[in-house]
Amino acid sequence: MRRRLLVVLGVAVLGVLAAPAHPAHAHPLGNFSINQYHGFTIRPDAVTATVVVDRAEIPTRQRRTIGCVEVAAALDATVDRVRLRWTIEAEDLTFHPGAAELPISRLSCTLRAVTRPLGTGAVRPFVVANGYAAGQVGWHEMTAVGDGVRLVDSPLPTRSVSDELRAYPADPLASPLDVRDASLRFTIGGSTDAAAGRAVGTNGRAAPAGGAIGRLVTSADRRLADLAGAGRLTPTVGLLAVLLAFALGAGHAALPGHGKTALAAYAAARGGRRREAVALLATVTVTHTGGVLAVGALFSTTAAFAGERLLAWLGIVSGAVVVAVGAGMLAAVRRGRPHTHRHGHSHVHVHDHRPGGRLGLFGIGMAGGLVPSPSALVVLLGAVGLGRTAFGVLLVVAYGVGMAATLTAAGFALVGIQRWAARRAAHWRADGVRRVLRRLPSAGTATASLVMVVGAGLALRAVAALS
Amino acid sequence: MRRHRMVRATIVIVVVAAAILSIGAAFGRQSGPPRQVAERAASGPAASADPIVRAQERLRLVPRDWRTWAGLAVAYLERGRTTADPGYYPKAHEAVRRSLALRPDGNADALVARGALANARHDFAAARRDALAAIRLNAYGADAYAVLADAETQLGRPTEATAAVQRLLDLRPGLSAYARGSYDLEQRGALAAATGLMRRALDAAMSPADIAFCRGQLGDLEWLAGDLSGAAEQYAAGLGADPRAVSLLRGRARVAAASGLLDAAIANYADVTRRSPTVGYLLEYARVLRAAGRTGGAAGQLALANDAQRLFVANGGVDGLTAAELAIEAGRPSDAVTAARAEWARRRHADVADTLGWALHLAGRDAEALRYARLAGARGALSATYAYHLGMIELSLGQRRAARANLDRALGRNPAFSPIDAPIARKALAGLGGAR
Repeated sequence: MRRRLLVVLGVAVLGVLAAPAHPAHAHPLGNFSINQYHGFTIRPDAVTATVVVDRAEIPTRQRRTIGCVEVAAALDATVDRVRLRWTIEAEDLTFHPGAAELPISRLSCTLRAVTRPLGTGAVRPFVVANGYAAGQVGWHEMTAVGDGVRLVDSPLPTRSVSDELRAYPADPLASPLDVRDASLRFTIGGSTDAAAGRAVGTNGRAAPAGGAIGRLVTSADRRLADLAGAGRLTPTVGLLAVLLAFALGAGHAALPGHGKTALAAYAAARGGRRREAVALLATVTVTHTGGVLAVGALFSTTAAFAGERLLAWLGIVSGAVVVAVGAGMLAAVRRGRPHTHRHGHSHVHVHDHRPGGRLGLFGIGMAGGLVPSPSALVVLLGAVGLGRTAFGVLLVVAYGVGMAATLTAAGFALVGIQRWAARRAAHWRADGVRRVLRRLPSAGTATASLVMVVGAGLALRAVAALS
Repeated sequence: MRRHRMVRATIVIVVVAAAILSIGAAFGRQSGPPRQVAERAASGPAASADPIVRAQERLRLVPRDWRTWAGLAVAYLERGRTTADPGYYPKAHEAVRRSLALRPDGNADALVARGALANARHDFAAARRDALAAIRLNAYGADAYAVLADAETQLGRPTEATAAVQRLLDLRPGLSAYARGSYDLEQRGALAAATGLMRRALDAAMSPADIAFCRGQLGDLEWLAGDLSGAAEQYAAGLGADPRAVSLLRGRARVAAASGLLDAAIANYADVTRRSPTVGYLLEYARVLRAAGRTGGAAGQLALANDAQRLFVANGGVDGLTAAELAIEAGRPSDAVTAARAEWARRRHADVADTLGWALHLAGRDAEALRYARLAGARGALSATYAYHLGMIELSLGQRRAARANLDRALGRNPAFSPIDAPIARKALAGLGGAR
């Protein structure tokens, strides 16, 4: 007896018993495949399933006729742990020409099962497992929509990506689907808008909606990635890419996060000096560049790397640092309180025992730059992938400078406003206002508390992303 | 006074800051694909373990990363191999194409992936070209030598194949190298050494699919040595690791047939051909049905095998060896000779020599047949089938002594090598005055 051919390699793996060659396919998923689609519509008192079985040439040749009875028998589903008893409402088996003058077949079934009517406020589990032709290769797809019920935590999309096995996505980034079971809950009220397509993300979170700025940033991101990966890197292209990276960094910092509030409040509390501005700028840039490079290195070297988790952890660290700085400020304010200054000056005069100190400055800058921005990461990885590591690093530095510029500018703009407000306040004579203000906590305490609150907010947001 | 001013200033700062931030928030969190990708990466524990998912995620993030495109192609090929699902090959093809489009020159990774794909599609000459081109770019890329070793082996160039395997063993000793080294030794008839190396491969195997693969190879080696129970043990152990491994289910079916358990064999082959209806498996199924006297069922499976081969050819596949086997089984020896000759012109593997010789014998051209049947065993492969074919050809040429020796050898190697041919060999041997 003859051994099968030993063929093919794997990156980490080995030599192989090759399956027979299939250079092209009449059926897009191979001549062997039995492809299945199950679309569930959940109603308050029933579940209907639209089942399609698309069989390629060989399975059709092996067994010409199949029926909905066996399809229904293999579809194991429960609502509220009660097994559904399917009745066949419609059945249709058609044949279509395939390759080598062999037919392919398409079986469509409409199955329906009655459930105990659902009361208001109740949440019911729906669990389904499809065991039809389990040993055979093929596409396995499921969708679920609610009609008069709202699906609470459905892992299934609402619309078929293959148009119910009529058009299989050719995208090489889409693996053949292999969804054979699902578990979800539903409750009364609302319906799925099937036209909206996939309504919820993996954890029921809505996919981030891109506003006008978001879209702008995204398209600029793409421009930069294109520039970094341009076929030939001319000085013009390089300069343009660096400028774009700077602008993107600046734009990125304008979006929420990064402890801008904390930074601004902190800068305000410290009175805003030029030297400190430079120090902040440098800290943010260095931290962000270092962070992106470190995460980029991780991404390039270890394959098993969950990006979002790391970013979330960095977010927690960043928030914690801000909280710590805020706490430090608060402690300093409390210590400084016995000799509160009441000079006769009409402008804000800040003394040497300002809250924070050099460590705080560094901390706040670090917190601002610690969480690497995904778009800088993209640019870096893209450049590395094209063998332009140095250029990628340069772009990341430009990006960090841009970010730092926005953050620092925001902080010191607020200082300017503060000074202006303070000057104006000297002229305010409305006693009522003053009386109200007297009851408020002191400025130092308020600033420190604000910094702490913002830090806690940053950390909590990151924790939420983790769970 | 001062303090109030500070308070007011602080309130102004807070209000302004809140305003700025809510404007920012109104425009949304930073959106765009990277973040969604990262979320997808964290969405499940299985996500990061699957090399295909990992490569896809990275490519959504870095669409111009030609290395990962090539890596994705290889991952698809691997999946196609372990699941016996050829639906992954077009995906692999597209991934290779993208990698080469992004970097047409100096892209050794893509050449290796394209070569591996060519091997999987049995275009061994193209695989060899790609592997050699990749080696010219990077003489230390182990994967290129793996592709080269497979191609040279199948093209029937044993010296070059051994050199490639040796280089692979030097560069990266491991599962991939041991498995190929084992096959190389087996081709030379060194079964004990081949088994030893495959055991080392098994020790290095981590994933269920790899363990199943190694067990399957060990089972096949036991089978070649005629140890049915040893083979059955290996297949069972492999199926314990991966119950869906079709090649092991087929091994089990073959052992059942050889042990005379034809009903069990038929049930097993029905399962195998339902999971993976390849021409080769359908042919074996047809033979077992014929051995059990179920000629109608055998004809049905043979017709199915014919259609599977027609599909294969319609899809642009070239496999003269299978075509020849099919023609032999269908009683069309001259078609078998034509197909086997064409395959022999493409590649000079021992299997092709054996099939061509047997087809010539069935077509009544024994003198010519003898040459190829001798070539099949000349490199040392210890196949009972080769020996049986050679013996029968010698018998019809009247070379009784040689025929007796070879038939004896065939039955000595594996007394149950085929449910149909082994009884014939036994009868012929008895007629020659030998006994087995």
